Amino acid sequence: MKDYDTIVVGAGNGGLSAGLTLAMNGLKVLILERHNIPGGSATSFCRGRFEFEVALHQLSGMGTAERPGPLRGLLGRLGVMDDVEFTEMSDLYRVFIPGKLDITLNADRAEVVETLQANFPEEKEAIAKFFDLVYGYAMELYTFFKNPAPSRDRFPLVHRYAFKSAGEVLDEFFKNPLLKAVPGAYWGYIGLTPNRLPFSYLAMLFFSYIEFRPCHIKGGSQSLSNALANRFMASGGSIRYNCGVKRIVVKDGKAEGVITDNDEEITAENVVSNASKVATYVELIDREHVPDDVLTEMGGRTASPSGFNVYLGLDCEPEDLGITVSTNFILPDEDLSDKHFNRMRELSTENNLVAFSCYDVADPEFSPKGTCQAALVTLKYIEPWLQVPLHQYAKVKYECANHMIDRMELLCPNVRDHIEEVEIGTPLTFMRYLGSPRGAIYGFEQYNKDSLFFEAPRVSSIKGLYTAGGWVTDCGFEPTLKSGVSAAGSIMRALKA
Amino acid sequence: MKKELIQGFDGYNEIISEIQVCRKYGTDFTLDKGLVEDCITRLHPVRMRLQVSEIIDETDSAKTFRLVSREQDLPPFQAGQYLSLFVETGGIRTSRPYSICSPPNQTGYYEITVRRVNNGLVSGYLLDQVKRGDVLESSGPCGLFHYNPIFHDKTMVCIAGGSGITPFMSMIQEVVDCGIDRTLYLFYGNRSSNDVIFHDRLRSIAEKSDNIRYIPVIEEPEEGYEGAKGLITGGLIKDVIGDINGKTFYLCGPQAMYDFCLKELEQLSVPARKTRREVYGAPVNAADQPGWPKEIKEDQVFSVKVNENSTFETVAGQPLLAALEKNGLKVPSRCRSGQCSMCRVKLVSGKVFQPSDTPVRRSDRRFGYVHSCVSYPLENLEIVI
Repeated sequence: MKDYDTIVVGAGNGGLSAGLTLAMNGLKVLILERHNIPGGSATSFCRGRFEFEVALHQLSGMGTAERPGPLRGLLGRLGVMDDVEFTEMSDLYRVFIPGKLDITLNADRAEVVETLQANFPEEKEAIAKFFDLVYGYAMELYTFFKNPAPSRDRFPLVHRYAFKSAGEVLDEFFKNPLLKAVPGAYWGYIGLTPNRLPFSYLAMLFFSYIEFRPCHIKGGSQSLSNALANRFMASGGSIRYNCGVKRIVVKDGKAEGVITDNDEEITAENVVSNASKVATYVELIDREHVPDDVLTEMGGRTASPSGFNVYLGLDCEPEDLGITVSTNFILPDEDLSDKHFNRMRELSTENNLVAFSCYDVADPEFSPKGTCQAALVTLKYIEPWLQVPLHQYAKVKYECANHMIDRMELLCPNVRDHIEEVEIGTPLTFMRYLGSPRGAIYGFEQYNKDSLFFEAPRVSSIKGLYTAGGWVTDCGFEPTLKSGVSAAGSIMRALKA
Repeated sequence: MKKELIQGFDGYNEIISEIQVCRKYGTDFTLDKGLVEDCITRLHPVRMRLQVSEIIDETDSAKTFRLVSREQDLPPFQAGQYLSLFVETGGIRTSRPYSICSPPNQTGYYEITVRRVNNGLVSGYLLDQVKRGDVLESSGPCGLFHYNPIFHDKTMVCIAGGSGITPFMSMIQEVVDCGIDRTLYLFYGNRSSNDVIFHDRLRSIAEKSDNIRYIPVIEEPEEGYEGAKGLITGGLIKDVIGDINGKTFYLCGPQAMYDFCLKELEQLSVPARKTRREVYGAPVNAADQPGWPKEIKEDQVFSVKVNENSTFETVAGQPLLAALEKNGLKVPSRCRSGQCSMCRVKLVSGKVFQPSDTPVRRSDRRFGYVHSCVSYPLENLEIVI
């Protein structure tokens, strides 16, 4: 008799949604989380009177009660909709290129098209056609997977554009580089510059954010993590914090349980790993049990960038700083080429794209009354950070953060007069808290060769081992939450078989 | 995905050959084994084993412990940060945070200075039992009380009380040793002259260095004492520093000092964002805290049921974390002042008193989580750890 039906390693989005789904199906489930709080990336931390959101910028797929998106349905089935409140953002984002461009797109297709057309009248027709393509492509894609024999005649756009990069498509439609930079600005959400980013992802981002509106969560993403953990316990699940796993026990090709950091062995019929795929197969499972095809598949992939984040607690309202939009992209220029990609490999944050979010715009209660917070993010690979001498680490961190704030000052010149709290997350910080290889925040990189059409099987040849989280699916909240439900579904199907 | 479904896509063959090339010449992730832990341990070790290499008498009631590592290079820290020491004494496994008083440029050792606390479990153990050569278990350096070049002013006004001098000792030595362009005023309050830790060193540093001003303040001075007397008042601060603009204020000391000095700073119109306060343990007299329910006495006994399987009794005046430790229950801890959230536990039923400014996440409040180091039982409790 095993101790549990299923042990879930890690209480990130994927681990929580997997554990909860299984517990709701009556299984005896244990979630083990190394940290003292659930959520993984979906978390927050307090400094002074501020609670800073770590990871969530725009939640996709919620929609409204009347017109629910896929994520709303999923969270409803997980029974947490009464425990979490969402705020809708009316804007997609503001793009700012100093001296050249300042455009805000609202989360409405007609308005997006009109705004772009007003700013780029000479490419009026192309703008309308581009969004026809985005919508047409997304609609085809939604039904493509359900169609048993999807032909080119029925799915012409998917056949033509599925393996194109976003950059190629932007070049096909638009002439003015400034115009291309506006839709291209979303690349930061996937971590590949437009010339490398699959068009599929750009199209899906626009379609989903426009159709279902970007959302945020009252109290931040930690609220959702806490609600999922709470519902999990209420459904009979057990969760242990401060309890890392050092090994997944495999015997005769079958996962049999785990050994914790305290050397306790806990047995289970199934194990769901919400650790990174690399940690799962390299750190947690002995090499002799790891199927070669898993290593071969991983070998063809690369870890995504990490992030360099600056969290500012400000003693004034957003409007005092001229912040009117929740999501702002500050670009150094309109270049979409490898220049930006290469900058991610440098230590310096000068001239990087800076995404800055102010959640207080959509939710005035997000920070204490009379204050607001700004999360400044740029993407960085970890390698240069590994070469910083340890005694220089703090100094470099402050320098890089100052450069990010310099970028923000372009939009909010008086921001430095209002800083009450500052926290900085470097790629090493992400590595520390996520335990992810190279501090990656988006799992594996998602080139066309890694995109949804080539997703590796989530069920390995190790029986009873399932995986969930950002390393086995597309990155982001909606996909990772789905991945846990899907892992749980595989377990339930295997039980019935 | 099935090959038949996508092989008709434009560019399919190119992608397939790209996958093959990438797999052939790609990343060998098995080489990453152990890498994350190695990288992180250099900066943020979960635990360190530190050996006491020197014990230095400072005052009648305080000693400095010099700590070295035989196992790893000591991780860097920012002047003002602390170590949490994990000790077992009198059958109780517990922890205490101690600010590092040696400067960050001293990479060979850390020093902490421990002053005797009345009936103090850990201070008594460290001062009376620990010998040179003993090994202590510690966290990595942590804490938020340090100079931050992004928004702090280069003129630092430091206000210390009693053993609250330790983080400032680190900051002062760093500024002097490294020739840092920063000016530091130190107002150091103590009850009597005998209590002043580092007095001679501070005086000598201040004499030699233009950018360190040292103002000891004695509350109950002996006859003939000529320095500043009484408490660290706004008037005294203003007299010494002049204009309050362009200066950041740092406070480290007991609650009574915060209660007094923060009001004084407020009267000088120092904006809240210019004031940094080190956490200094759980309130000693919880019942004196604003918001404590009058009808509950500190010695009132309540029961605590843990994880549905064990129950013990404790009193209202004792923080829940300390009570759990006394009963042999393991809860992680670090700052023991409500700030770091390491000791977060779930309250299933019952009520606790938690100081209103404890930084508990909004959704933690919603789902009944409390920071046990500053939570005092007001009813019988059921908790999950």
